[in-house]
Amino acid sequence: MAEPATAPALDFLEVELPEGFNDPIGEEFEIRPMVLPMGPSHPAMHGTVRIVLKLEGETVVDADVQVGYLHRGFEKECESGTWEQAIPYTDRLNYNSAIICNLGYCLAVEKLLGIEVPPRAQALRVLASELSRMGDHFTCVGAGGLELGAMSAFLYAVEAREMLWDLVEDLCGARVTNNYVRIGGLSQDLREGFADRLKTTFAKVDELYSDVDKLLTANRIFVDRLKNTGLLSKDRAIAWGQTGPVLRATGVPYDIRKAFPYSGYERYDFDVPVGSVGDNYDRFLIRMEELRQSIRIIEQVLKDLPGGPVNVDDPKVRWPAKTRVFTRMEELIDQFMLVTGGIRVPAGEGYVAVEGANGELGFYVVSDGSGHPVKMRCRSPSFANTSALREMIIGSMIADIIPTFDLLNMIGGECDR
Amino acid sequence: MSGANFPQRRTDPVLPRLTERFGDAIVGTHSQHGDETAVVARDSLHDVMAFLRDDPDLSFDMPTDVTVVDHLPRTPRFEVAYHLTSTRDLRRIRVKVQLDASDARVASVKDLWPGMDWHEREAYDMYGVTFDGHGDLRRILLYPEFQGHPLRKDYPKTRRQPRLGIEDPG
Amino acid sequence: MPGSVITVRRDQAETLLARIYLWEIVKGCVITARHFWRNLIGYMIGRRRTFVVNWPEEKVGYSPAFRGMPVLVQMENGAERCVACGLCEKACPTDCITIFPEEVGDGIQRRPKVFDIAIDRCMFCGLCEEACPEEAIVMSRRVEVASITKEGCLWHKEDLLTPASELPIRLGHIRNGYDRSPN
Ligand code: SF4
Ligand code: SF4
Repeated sequence: MAEPATAPALDFLEVELPEGFNDPIGEEFEIRPMVLPMGPSHPAMHGTVRIVLKLEGETVVDADVQVGYLHRGFEKECESGTWEQAIPYTDRLNYNSAIICNLGYCLAVEKLLGIEVPPRAQALRVLASELSRMGDHFTCVGAGGLELGAMSAFLYAVEAREMLWDLVEDLCGARVTNNYVRIGGLSQDLREGFADRLKTTFAKVDELYSDVDKLLTANRIFVDRLKNTGLLSKDRAIAWGQTGPVLRATGVPYDIRKAFPYSGYERYDFDVPVGSVGDNYDRFLIRMEELRQSIRIIEQVLKDLPGGPVNVDDPKVRWPAKTRVFTRMEELIDQFMLVTGGIRVPAGEGYVAVEGANGELGFYVVSDGSGHPVKMRCRSPSFANTSALREMIIGSMIADIIPTFDLLNMIGGECDR
Repeated sequence: MSGANFPQRRTDPVLPRLTERFGDAIVGTHSQHGDETAVVARDSLHDVMAFLRDDPDLSFDMPTDVTVVDHLPRTPRFEVAYHLTSTRDLRRIRVKVQLDASDARVASVKDLWPGMDWHEREAYDMYGVTFDGHGDLRRILLYPEFQGHPLRKDYPKTRRQPRLGIEDPG
Repeated sequence: MPGSVITVRRDQAETLLARIYLWEIVKGCVITARHFWRNLIGYMIGRRRTFVVNWPEEKVGYSPAFRGMPVLVQMENGAERCVACGLCEKACPTDCITIFPEEVGDGIQRRPKVFDIAIDRCMFCGLCEEACPEEAIVMSRRVEVASITKEGCLWHKEDLLTPASELPIRLGHIRNGYDRSPN
């Protein structure tokens, strides 16, 4: 058993009172560092995080970012159930883009199983991921505006997000806790008329997008708070393991959809926006641009959507079709075997990453051949990105913490798992 | 509106170079499902990682993940798995170290990549693996009063810890 | 691979108009006012365009794919369709279903004596519905399940039984759109 570690990093919390502090008005008064805990219940610290700041005047001298307030034992829960039962839990990682989390997990298990889903399922997975990504970016951009005082931009962005979530509900039955992707396929096919509903929604979303764009992108009050705040250089961003918009803002075109294409992303034509400075304004612009690119991808998916089944035809992986279970003995037995025993995943290990809305969302799964995962690890982008928050805010003003923290888009559920 | 191009992905394997350079320190390798994996002797972990980062041909500059796998009945019980990515070559490698339960400690690689900091703290928090030289190995997701390491296989899922008393302000 | 790397334009806020800032204020006011008047007039003439509904007086329309709380399907003769096979209990990730079977008739038929769902733990994931071989447990459109006591969150068989005639949308959806491998 390892002995508990001591905590030297917090020693700045015990600030020694200078001599003669009792008389602050007297001549002995001197500025000394102030320790200010920010959060966990702070309106700007959405996602429940606590930052213990050491301040000199309004400048941040040191900071200790404390996460974990939303820890729910995700990995433990997943390891105690079957492979299938972990899918609803992955919804709870990033509540804005649950389908991407579903997808990452299912791809990792499919890698161990050595199966590939039919082309229609791949295309629909791309479609659903991009819808979720848009929802996530809208939330981030809108909440960023809200926290910097642009209330109406938030309202329009969230209205757009809600419409997108209604589409997602049409796709899979729930707006937030989607539970859509399955190991070896999808829970259900597209419903009739989805493309038309998507077209109507996108017309409105386009309008709202341009409203948000007009309100924020060139607005000096907003832009001045973003420019040159939360700076992170290219090398430091890579060394801190930053991914997603935070890394791309520094000019590194690292997007998993291009670097390690999955689920047929190599078939679609889209651009990867990068920044040049690495500050919050670049991150904001990248998110706005990625929204446009997502719309492009979705239009391409719908334009040539392959036909065919959405599930692998393998009774050892995917539960058989309902209508067959009702009528045929063989399928009924398959269903019984699969539900009671779980999917038998061959022993081995695999790491699969997908491009989440905030960066590289990786799943590392280890199996010993039984029906339960031995290890199910989620490498969450929020966790890695938040770890560099300290470096981004040291030396800046308190007011700069707000846009920096917001455009990291730290999602509590994903960071703390 | 156009800038750099995407980096080209290199497909040649990493492992031969690693085994050639370190020989016996590489306990085992495999490339299951295309994930190149090297199992490294514990004492040479830091050297291997430094080589992976600094060698101009490899240049694994991004720390992706650190985690621990608990194979309870098996010895060695713990397996610390590091994932590294090269943003230049778009390659990944997994480096693993096997640890006994009685002596679950390994050198920290926080000095090579600052991004390993929180991942190592989480591994310590969840599995009780100590990273020597980390310097700031506090619990990260759980609270300091928490007893035990919950992701170990012998930690029952239903076990409850006493609630912390809320200090009465007055 | 098609697609390229593009650099975002940082100079959008550098134009003269943006620097004067007055223009930005006017633009913002116009956009906000447009939304305001459209919503207000729409409200007065009864064609609301706002996205928010006044719950609980108004309800939102759900998609046919919508998953609410799981309920048991009741056949015309009043009996449940469930045969107490226990698959849903097994498939449920949160272990919120409790079933005690009993035999009826001459021991050929089985049915649940106890069928409880701890709805406070249920996460409406729908795995029970997918696992059920009898179409006996389906996700209804009921979502208002709050209770102030722990007991109130334990739904028994009697509470869960819903006549099949009240669930046409979901049952249709399961049979048509929910088919896993239509081939
Ligand atoms: S919906 Fe999910 S959580 Fe609820 S009873 Fe069914 S399987 Fe269990
Ligand atoms: S799976 Fe269906 S038939 Fe079996 S016990 Fe559950 S509800 Fe009843």
